[in-house]
Amino acid sequence: MTAPPIQNCGKCGLCLSVCPVYQVLKQEQASPRARLQLIKAFEKKDLDASPLLKDLVSQCLMCGACKVVCPSGINHYGKFMDMREQLARSLPEPPAIRSLVYLLAKEYRLRMGAGLARFGQRLTPKFLADKYRIGNIPVHRFPTMNAAPFRQTLPDVIPARGIRRGRVIYFVGCATQYLFGDTGQATVDILSHLGYEVVVPKGLTCCGIPMMFHGARDRAALNMAANLTAMADAFDNGPCDAVIVDCTTCGAALKDEYPGLMDTLNRRPDPALSGRLDILPPDIHTRIAGKTRDILSFVHEHQTHLEMRPDLSPNKVIYHAPCHTRNSFNTAGTVTDLLATLPCFDYIPVRDTAACCGGGGTFFYEYPEIAAKMMAGKLCHARDADAQYWLTDCPVCRINLHGSLSEQDRLTVVHPVTLISRGLDA
Amino acid sequence: MISPDLTNQFLAIVDSARWLDKKEQLFCYAYDAFVEESMPDAVIFPETTEEVSQILALASAHQLPVTARGAGTSVCGAPVPARHGLVICFSQMDRIIEINTKDRYIIVEPGVVNADVQAALAPDKFFFPPDPGSMDMSTIGGNIAQNAGGPRCLKYGVTLDYILGLEVVLASGKIITFGSKNIKDVTGYKLAALFCGSEGTLGLVTRAILKVVPLPETVKTIMATFNDLDDTATAVTDIIGSGILPAAMELMDQLTLNAIEDKAGLGLDRDAAGTLLIEVDGVAEACDKQIRQISQKLHANHAVHIQEAESAADRERLWTARRSAYGVFAKLAPDIISEDVTVPVSRVPEMVRRIIQITDKYKLKVGVLAHAGDGNMHPMIPADKSNAEEWERVMAAFDEIFRAAADLDGTLSGEHGIGLAKAKFLPLVMNQDTINFMKTIKQAVDPDGILNPGKFV
Repeated sequence: MTAPPIQNCGKCGLCLSVCPVYQVLKQEQASPRARLQLIKAFEKKDLDASPLLKDLVSQCLMCGACKVVCPSGINHYGKFMDMREQLARSLPEPPAIRSLVYLLAKEYRLRMGAGLARFGQRLTPKFLADKYRIGNIPVHRFPTMNAAPFRQTLPDVIPARGIRRGRVIYFVGCATQYLFGDTGQATVDILSHLGYEVVVPKGLTCCGIPMMFHGARDRAALNMAANLTAMADAFDNGPCDAVIVDCTTCGAALKDEYPGLMDTLNRRPDPALSGRLDILPPDIHTRIAGKTRDILSFVHEHQTHLEMRPDLSPNKVIYHAPCHTRNSFNTAGTVTDLLATLPCFDYIPVRDTAACCGGGGTFFYEYPEIAAKMMAGKLCHARDADAQYWLTDCPVCRINLHGSLSEQDRLTVVHPVTLISRGLDA
Repeated sequence: MISPDLTNQFLAIVDSARWLDKKEQLFCYAYDAFVEESMPDAVIFPETTEEVSQILALASAHQLPVTARGAGTSVCGAPVPARHGLVICFSQMDRIIEINTKDRYIIVEPGVVNADVQAALAPDKFFFPPDPGSMDMSTIGGNIAQNAGGPRCLKYGVTLDYILGLEVVLASGKIITFGSKNIKDVTGYKLAALFCGSEGTLGLVTRAILKVVPLPETVKTIMATFNDLDDTATAVTDIIGSGILPAAMELMDQLTLNAIEDKAGLGLDRDAAGTLLIEVDGVAEACDKQIRQISQKLHANHAVHIQEAESAADRERLWTARRSAYGVFAKLAPDIISEDVTVPVSRVPEMVRRIIQITDKYKLKVGVLAHAGDGNMHPMIPADKSNAEEWERVMAAFDEIFRAAADLDGTLSGEHGIGLAKAKFLPLVMNQDTINFMKTIKQAVDPDGILNPGKFV
């Protein structure tokens, strides 16, 4: 087998038809094809690092839709990440983004930060909270912090209920850990209800995607090392049927980005990681990648074992498909199928279920005007559907959807697992 | 270079968000899907006909080259600003003005995407037949400028056949309108034929009245495989020659089919030397009859296997195979070049043979793909542009392919256009007086030559 050739972008333009940013701006420089052109010009030294270049490269949700549709099989994702890293060297990220990356890089900082934020949320006077916005989202529409970090509330191993069918590792991401404990609790409840022993390894930290997207791949690699170390023992000490994520972005890290990053580090070792990666069991990153599953398609596959309460009255729900569910896991269809099948849902399909909400990690904060245009159509259709719940399996989309609704909207945004777990027959 | 003073005059026409002149931005308007690039000095995004008119009047006064662009998906370099100057990008002038399926027309601005026209017509069960491979992103303005085709144009005809009327801004800034909402209209010259396919060298379309047709009640799709590529091509000639007119008739050779199967695993027959994907549409009874007639012809030409799509999903599977051809071929090498020489359908078998002989001679890999029913060939050659020796062989092979097509009473391009790609081959299919006649028209309409200079005329 010869290695596949390095592909050049043929400029066919197919990516224009799926890029949420191009669809809103309708200017070529906002397209994936243009970003590749700019990267090429930068590599050939026809363009220097400039604030405008950085802006054009950053004006991207990193949703991966272009990579999926590309006939030449270009890895836009990897190229954009490389370019962001190179540009960040001479043109630092804005302070707010840098502090986020700093926080996420170390679990104890995040824990402290969360504690302070919780304290802050209690102290912020209401009139201030009502007035200030982050991106388009008023501060008071941001989620409140979990009373305690979610993993702290769990034993190391949650036993299976009923017939034991297997054992899974649950990778609890930052959002569940600090903001959306409800998602975590529901995920654990469903897995043990399905007969799976759930192991939540100690020492998990942020998956590293935010660092990768903001040019701090060295820090992301440290997080990868920490997470692989944390999971390695549990993975090898007993059969592991799956590594479950409730967030497909964390899942994309485990499934796609870790193997990619390991390859890069094998070619160009980073001294800062010496003693961290070489102690890992062989190929642990590819073995974990191969077992990584999102909770909803796991439930879909095991739904015959799901026992729902007979007296359930279904909730009217609509769904928002996050980018990594669509483009990394390719499971948006599986999720809607699940929503249409389970008795706890009265699923109302909405035309733009798969359209981007503009959340995109920190995109909603960095480009609020573009994000607002992406959200506008979605909001109209969501309101027209007259549902009780707006379901989504991404914490950033959840923040963004909830934040864009107002108090008048009687639409609650939750992860689908919340409603599934409420409907389980005890 | 555009002077600061002239820049300010343009900025009096559009707001600054619709004017780009930074180097980083301009890099993104130097290309289309063809292989040559050239940078503009500025890009402007009009939203109304009046703005286009003012922009062109100002450009004319300053002899500034102007190149129109839609989504930049042309495959011949048509929107590449060969002489730099100003790119007028119509992507933001994208309103659908009126849908009237009772009178069978739709009125759109040039920046509307082809697929959005289809989506707008679908609730009324109508459609706009031209279906270029780029239909999900290419604009109607671009489709008109290039006289775009597509698979179903075999039966339905190309973009020009669907233009009822146009509003065009001339180089001077004058606005002309011709045609009407009427299917029949012989009032004056058929000016649509002048501007459609002119690749932005005569005027810029700012509004179009397009004819639309009802969606057929039934569609039937079959795939036939052959042990011999020659038989495959002869079957095409035989079917079309006997008076049957399918909606689409696509030919794929073995290399193409295997490349698709490697990637997509659709269960295609890897041993088939040639494959035909044929679609008929219309009234159910007529479709059944046509499929029977076509199957007879296929058998007579030694088809080894004929399969009819059983369901919509199955039909989608067969079309996925055809649609993914370009993509899987693009992955065989760093670059890919695809041309679209076209020959009378009776010459398809000979043209296929010649393409294979020529690429063999130059030791190149070729995928033979064709909208075969109308003789529109799509030979695709995967190669590495950075390998100068190989690229020279690719160019030499295409040179001979153009000559072979001309030799078989064919033409340079069936649907891609001339642009930068094929200008030098025009004398193969046109005598000098004809080329001069085009120049005379160009001279009369655009005396200063500001519209898309450096192209075929």
